[in-house]
Amino acid sequence: MTEHVDIAVIGAGPAGANAALAASRHGLSVTLLDEQSKPGGQVWRARSAAILDAPSTPESAAGGALRQRLQNSAVARLGDTRVWQIERTEDGWVLHLLRQGRVEQRRARALVIATGAREFVQPVPGWTTPGVLGLAGATALFKQDLTLPGQRTVVSGTGPLVFFVAAEIRRLGGEVAGVITPNGRGDWLRALPAMLSRPDLLLRGARWVADLMLAGVPIHWRHAVSTVAGDGRVAAVGFRPLDADWSPVGAERGIAADSLCLGNGLIPAVEAAELAGVALEHRPELGGWLPRRGADGETEVPGLFLCGDGAGIRGAAAAEIDGRLTGLRAAQHLGAETASERAALRPRYARAARFGMAMTALSMPRKGLAELTTPDTIVCRCESLTGGVIAAEIAAGAGSTNAVKSGLRAGMGACGGKFCQTAVARMIAAAEDRAEAEVPPPTARPPLRPVPVSALAGEFDYSDLPIPKPAPL
Amino acid sequence: MSQEFDIAVIGGGIMGCATALRLSEGGMRPIVLDQGDLGQGASGVNAGTLSLQIKRVKLMPYALKGHHAWEAMGEAVGFHKTGGYTLAFTEREAGLLHERQALKAGAGAPISFVSERELRAAEPMLTRKVLAASHCPEDGYANSSLTGQYYRGRLRDQGIAYRERCPVTAIDRDVGFALTTAGGPIRARRLLLAAGAWLKPVAALLGVDLPVRARINTVSVTERMPPLTASVIGHATGLLTMKQKPNGTVLVGGGWQGRGTPQAGRGQVSADSVMPNLALAQYALPALARARVLRSWTGFEANVPDFYPLAGALPGVEDAFVLGCVRGGYTIGPYIGGLMGDFILGREPELPLFDPARDFNEDTI
Amino acid sequence: MIRLVRDQSAQIKRASEVRFTFDGAQVPAHSGESLLAALIRSGHLHLRDAPEDGAARGGFCCMGLCQECVVRIEGQVVESCRAMVTSGLAVTSLKART
Repeated sequence: MTEHVDIAVIGAGPAGANAALAASRHGLSVTLLDEQSKPGGQVWRARSAAILDAPSTPESAAGGALRQRLQNSAVARLGDTRVWQIERTEDGWVLHLLRQGRVEQRRARALVIATGAREFVQPVPGWTTPGVLGLAGATALFKQDLTLPGQRTVVSGTGPLVFFVAAEIRRLGGEVAGVITPNGRGDWLRALPAMLSRPDLLLRGARWVADLMLAGVPIHWRHAVSTVAGDGRVAAVGFRPLDADWSPVGAERGIAADSLCLGNGLIPAVEAAELAGVALEHRPELGGWLPRRGADGETEVPGLFLCGDGAGIRGAAAAEIDGRLTGLRAAQHLGAETASERAALRPRYARAARFGMAMTALSMPRKGLAELTTPDTIVCRCESLTGGVIAAEIAAGAGSTNAVKSGLRAGMGACGGKFCQTAVARMIAAAEDRAEAEVPPPTARPPLRPVPVSALAGEFDYSDLPIPKPAPL
Repeated sequence: MSQEFDIAVIGGGIMGCATALRLSEGGMRPIVLDQGDLGQGASGVNAGTLSLQIKRVKLMPYALKGHHAWEAMGEAVGFHKTGGYTLAFTEREAGLLHERQALKAGAGAPISFVSERELRAAEPMLTRKVLAASHCPEDGYANSSLTGQYYRGRLRDQGIAYRERCPVTAIDRDVGFALTTAGGPIRARRLLLAAGAWLKPVAALLGVDLPVRARINTVSVTERMPPLTASVIGHATGLLTMKQKPNGTVLVGGGWQGRGTPQAGRGQVSADSVMPNLALAQYALPALARARVLRSWTGFEANVPDFYPLAGALPGVEDAFVLGCVRGGYTIGPYIGGLMGDFILGREPELPLFDPARDFNEDTI
Repeated sequence: MIRLVRDQSAQIKRASEVRFTFDGAQVPAHSGESLLAALIRSGHLHLRDAPEDGAARGGFCCMGLCQECVVRIEGQVVESCRAMVTSGLAVTSLKART
């Protein structure tokens, strides 16, 4: 039997959790699903059960408060739950779930998708070496397990995240061998006006940088990691200066390290929205390809609503308010009166979004960064496909991400293209002198996450097999 | 400036491309147009099974020729002749299998029945619940994902013009045909419609109503697994096709239906089809239980009410032709494309074509 | 030296230590933490070989997406960043030669 609720929310980060809370306050039955065991999303990821006590951080405090609010609410929470397929029915939605090795279904009249983001990492030689973690990936390790990537870590990437990761490594007792960021000091100065709306965050960031400087950690502004050396594990990290377009110029230098955190901004995770039937549009200022949505998270698909970084990278503060707006909009769809409440929230959302988009602008890679991917660099990690092989396929006429996927398997591996498709799309656009907006990601396919055959098969009884009319002879 | 060609082929799947290749060899100057990428419709998303055991009796001569065509294409299309087993688990299925395979063997397919011991020796990981199994050594598979890459290369090597992401939005009769496309106007003396599941809307541009419908077949693939099976595995009811690729992934199909229409874009996977499809696969091959499914997708398989091909002159439109709706079209496509090319060139095809003007509700084939 | 970001590592209290095995080697860990964290802390970074080129791979995205950190438990491939440590767990790698 499948349970039928008013609203299902996929993703329990700041956006999804607040959407669930807002809708629930209007008396609607809401189920909040997340693949992590506890709510919080990536930004407020909860500590594992192995951590009995640890100093509080702004992230752990915000996550703790959110979890407490959910605890005190009527929102039903389903943790450790992966949604693998989304289907629209006449009267709502069916979500196909994977929980504890089994598949099950949940039905809802309305659906809110808040699947957040994943990170973009520009492929460089050696980035597949064990000991290289994503920059956002490293934060998951810090927040959940309070574990460091190694003894001596190079931290490299764009936007504020690079300094957060460096500071967390130092807070958790590790050594930062160097910070390498494609942003110049001037980029940050230009972002200052937008940042003044959040003096708390500005101050926190300034502390991180000052701490690194006091500790004598070299900060290489307007540089990028160009190679990772090491046999089976990271031994050294090479880096090069960049020009204004972030094209590497000048000679490579090296830093000895046993680990590297590397990231170049976030990408909205759009696959769930695509399976739900939303068309994508290209909005580089919000992270690239996004599901198309209107005011307060509504979409052209009836009963479907989107919020948070998965609908455009605007950061956690904006996601909280976006989630509330979207939850209220979904509640309105089911008959609640929420228009005035939403009108009151919108100015706050706009302010938070302005700050978040300034951070996105700092984090988004500029064109030249793609030159770090040499012909020998692995671009598709799953299938070990190099930049040269992919460039040759494009030169032979494969003019879409789907064509490259079909011809080479770039995107057919275990990750489903999550870590190569953006780089591949940019290679196609550059090679054919087309706009990135003309090269969409490959067609999204279920399952959204790998599902064991045993779970799909369930308690199969052979006699239940619906035997069709034999095919014509 | 509109460009002029001897023939415009609408649809860059196997059939359109194979016909264009034959036409070019015969001295014509074709252009191939596709609304998306070459070979990304049914040609590129089917399960790649090349099995004589599931071909229609009257299409067997075409399927045998098709097998040879795939074998000749070889490595470039991921061709593997593995032999195939079709399994029956119940008395009823065994009866059905015996009856049908006898007819197919009579039509020229080298199909025989194997003993339980032979089956176990060849496929030790299969379930012990098999009641009867037929075998065909000619069976195998190719990698349908490579269709686009392969034909793009063939067209380029042969200097044949093609346009991808170039939907045709209008066709006017002129001296020949004037096509309005996303890539600009194109003029052609002749026209071949080879748009697969999209034949109906394309023919409608010429005012012709083709009774083309589409099935929405589902295929799933697992992560890489240790060796589990070396053959193409089928099921007497047709509800399962399964093969393990050289990279270890296992591809599972069987005609389970998804949702959607060709007009509305790509179809959607229905979980209610994926689950029993994979359950049946696991029933046949228990070790599959531990594999994780990475991807499921659908493809549109076009047909007309008598389930025989449309291959010949388009009724009522001079110099226009149609090719499609071939049951087993992946297997037969490269061959019947050549026949179609011969027909358009005014040559006698090696095997007869299938008149699109026939009465689809009568037994005319 | 003045630190604006203090080292708080000594203030972290973890659950009592348990052990699991990775390709037969004993790995100290804390019950309830992610397998990946425990493996990284004990220096097991190389978790699998890439199937096409055999190159060493290990955890990368740490959030269950990239599939780089997968290991085998009871025959089933699982993401080590999403699997929890329990005492006595037998974990094997997806390395070509083990």
